[in-house]
Amino acid sequence: MSKADTPKVLTGNLLRNGATVYYTGSGWSAHVAEAQVAATAAEAEELRKIGAAAYAANLVIDVNVVDVQPTAEHRPTHIREVIRATGPTVRPDLNKSMSPG
Amino acid sequence: MASPVNQVGSNRVLDRNGPITDGWERLADDETVKPGAAVLVSFQRLKNEHNALFAEAAAVGVEVGGDVNLDELEPFLPRLGLIVVRFAFMRDGRPFSVGRLLRERFHYTRDLRAVGDFIPDQILFLLRCGFNSFEAGPDFSVDALKHGVAAYTVWYQRGVERNVTIAERRLGKENLGQESA
Amino acid sequence: MYIYDDFDHTIAKQRVAEFRDQVNRRIKGELTEEQFRPLRLMNGLYLQLHAYMLRIAVPYGTLSAAQMRKLAHIARVYDRGYGHFTTRQNIQYNWIKLEQVPDLMAELATVQLHGNQTSGNCVRNVTADHFSGVIDGEIEDPRIVSEAIRQWSTFHPEFSWLPRKFKIAVTGAEKDRAAVQWHDIGLHIVRDDAGEVGYAVYVGGGMGRIPVLATKVRGFLPKRELLSYLEAILRVYNRYGRRDNIHKARIKILVRDLGPEEFIRQVEEEWEASRHSGVNLPPEEEIRIARYFEPPAYEKIAVPVAAFEDAKKANRAFAQWISTNVHPHKTPGYAIVTISLKPIGGIPGDASAEQMEAVASLAERFSLAEIRVSHIQNLVLPHVRQADLFAVWQELGKIGFANANAGLVTDIIACPGLDYCSLANARSIPVAQRISERFADLDRQHKIGALQIKISGCINACGHHHAGHIGILGVDKAGQEFYQLTLGGAGDETASTGQLIGPGFSSDGIVDAVEKVIDAYLDLRQPNETFISAYRRVGPAPFKEKLYGVSR
Repeated sequence: MSKADTPKVLTGNLLRNGATVYYTGSGWSAHVAEAQVAATAAEAEELRKIGAAAYAANLVIDVNVVDVQPTAEHRPTHIREVIRATGPTVRPDLNKSMSPG
Repeated sequence: MASPVNQVGSNRVLDRNGPITDGWERLADDETVKPGAAVLVSFQRLKNEHNALFAEAAAVGVEVGGDVNLDELEPFLPRLGLIVVRFAFMRDGRPFSVGRLLRERFHYTRDLRAVGDFIPDQILFLLRCGFNSFEAGPDFSVDALKHGVAAYTVWYQRGVERNVTIAERRLGKENLGQESA
Repeated sequence: MYIYDDFDHTIAKQRVAEFRDQVNRRIKGELTEEQFRPLRLMNGLYLQLHAYMLRIAVPYGTLSAAQMRKLAHIARVYDRGYGHFTTRQNIQYNWIKLEQVPDLMAELATVQLHGNQTSGNCVRNVTADHFSGVIDGEIEDPRIVSEAIRQWSTFHPEFSWLPRKFKIAVTGAEKDRAAVQWHDIGLHIVRDDAGEVGYAVYVGGGMGRIPVLATKVRGFLPKRELLSYLEAILRVYNRYGRRDNIHKARIKILVRDLGPEEFIRQVEEEWEASRHSGVNLPPEEEIRIARYFEPPAYEKIAVPVAAFEDAKKANRAFAQWISTNVHPHKTPGYAIVTISLKPIGGIPGDASAEQMEAVASLAERFSLAEIRVSHIQNLVLPHVRQADLFAVWQELGKIGFANANAGLVTDIIACPGLDYCSLANARSIPVAQRISERFADLDRQHKIGALQIKISGCINACGHHHAGHIGILGVDKAGQEFYQLTLGGAGDETASTGQLIGPGFSSDGIVDAVEKVIDAYLDLRQPNETFISAYRRVGPAPFKEKLYGVSR
């Protein structure tokens, strides 16, 4: 499912409150648009290592590297990840945008 | 070389109050018995060499898995000083049944020990299923053990320790069995 | 209703303290996620797509108005103002913070509510007929034994780490509203030839990827020996159920692999060895529990109730609601009201804090402060005077819960699906919403008649699609949501497994497919023939032809 040449971001849920977050390069953001994107297999591997370390440090759980589109929004390619990034499609009142603001 | 259980992979042995000293030595199947030692062997070795083991060792214990055939174990029970039941993984629930059966159906009364990846939060239930000692890794928290053992003071079910159930307490039958701490 | 005594309260408080300690240790890193996960699951706490989800038990489906108010309070303070009633008489909150769960649990414990064993590989919340105690022809109120099972299964020393989840359901009337044959253990209260009350015991039902209807392992088990018999079943399962493959770990697979005869032999052998070991409930304890479920003091009401009969004649919409959502009560002059949580285009089973509070108020005014939760994701007011029905209907209308669709095509069961659930492959709720909108016309719904549509977003089958007259299963087909259609399932005393009708449908196509199936039924049905009866008479062929054009 995951293709080597597709851009990737690191995501997980914060241990303390369960919030869906993305790794920005320096911390974690609720917005996938702020995520650091891995363009190569080596960069993706680096993200996986960062994710494993954050898991081991009890900061995030359910850590994954997921495919995104090569756009500024970093919209995930799979519908599951789109819904994780934006919220339940049946409650637009509770949805969050992919970018801050 | 035979190694004291206490030192195997830095494991240590505990009871409900914390670490205890322990004289059992775990033997690999090809290790010879030191005369006078208290030896812990596999069930296969017990089945193959029970005459020699009981003759040479001061005491014999056996390690079994949750899938143990208790009818096969039964003939040895009167002469065993220790039964160790191994958790294959943390969520392995079979040792709980094995413990209860050994105590309640086979009336085994000596040391009954759990080993494996269980966590302190499971100890209270293991005690209630008849286990009295535990072999655990170096990260096993004694504080958490003490906390976990004291987590509940009343139970709906009767355990091996013959605690009084809540239903019995409701009937005012507090003295049916021995209450455990 | 059962009222906790000091012992029950002590256990509940000690559970909260234990979990508070476990959460603290997890946050400090003393417990790893692998160690903590089964502990939090046994307290009903999952991690879903957007946050933690907390599942709270409504034991055997009975809620007081005070408990409903507490659920509303939880929704408002700890969540985002709503909750979701599930197919197992539970309520789920979708936006929970781990750090707040111990305080939340402490609040629940003050009103006898908890998330104990609503997940994990243990005995789950015991479910029962949502009309328990108020319908005619019941041999015994199944909530009495359900409460006994609740206590026996709570923190059981031997059976808290089973190979897989374990669900028990009880029904006390001939008509099975608890789907007992779909459970790991189903108990049907029966009388033997001598008139003694006992249980027909079913074992090994379950949904998931291998749907199996339970095997009847005993036609009659004397009432007093139930708990020892349950222990015998659980012990055989705990020792010999598979633990190497999560998909083969349910007791249904053990029953299948051993064969029913050998499974029964092992259970009976185990039971003979242990039935006198003091596990069975003391008779006094059963009497004590039963006292809490004695019928309330109903008024003596002369029937027919003129005001009620007049209102039905005067108001067609009210009469329509009565015909679907009001069920006869065993006491003259009373009625059982089903509150449909299935507004047209709404989310099945969802209720806001305000709606929960309004239902609590209605229960206080009109239903002796009692509410039921049904596995069809609806609520029930079990003790309403017929004279109050019109007022109840009007009040329900104000909160959007007066839909006259109980048991009809828009009374759809749907799991949370990919909108919330981390296991899901496809969304369930939007499909339910679009079907509901397609069949919004109430006259059309009443013309179609009794029909159960059940939708699951993955093979775990939380939406009970296997038991749906029309079942819909969401799958992931190359990254796209895709839906398979099954026909002919049922969850009642005529339980059956729905059969896959043919190739699946896209998200756009599934609603049309459902409509074609229903059109085919309308074309071929005989007078007064329900969908399921018609399907059982004619089989899949006419439906296949309507869906795919040619007979295959």
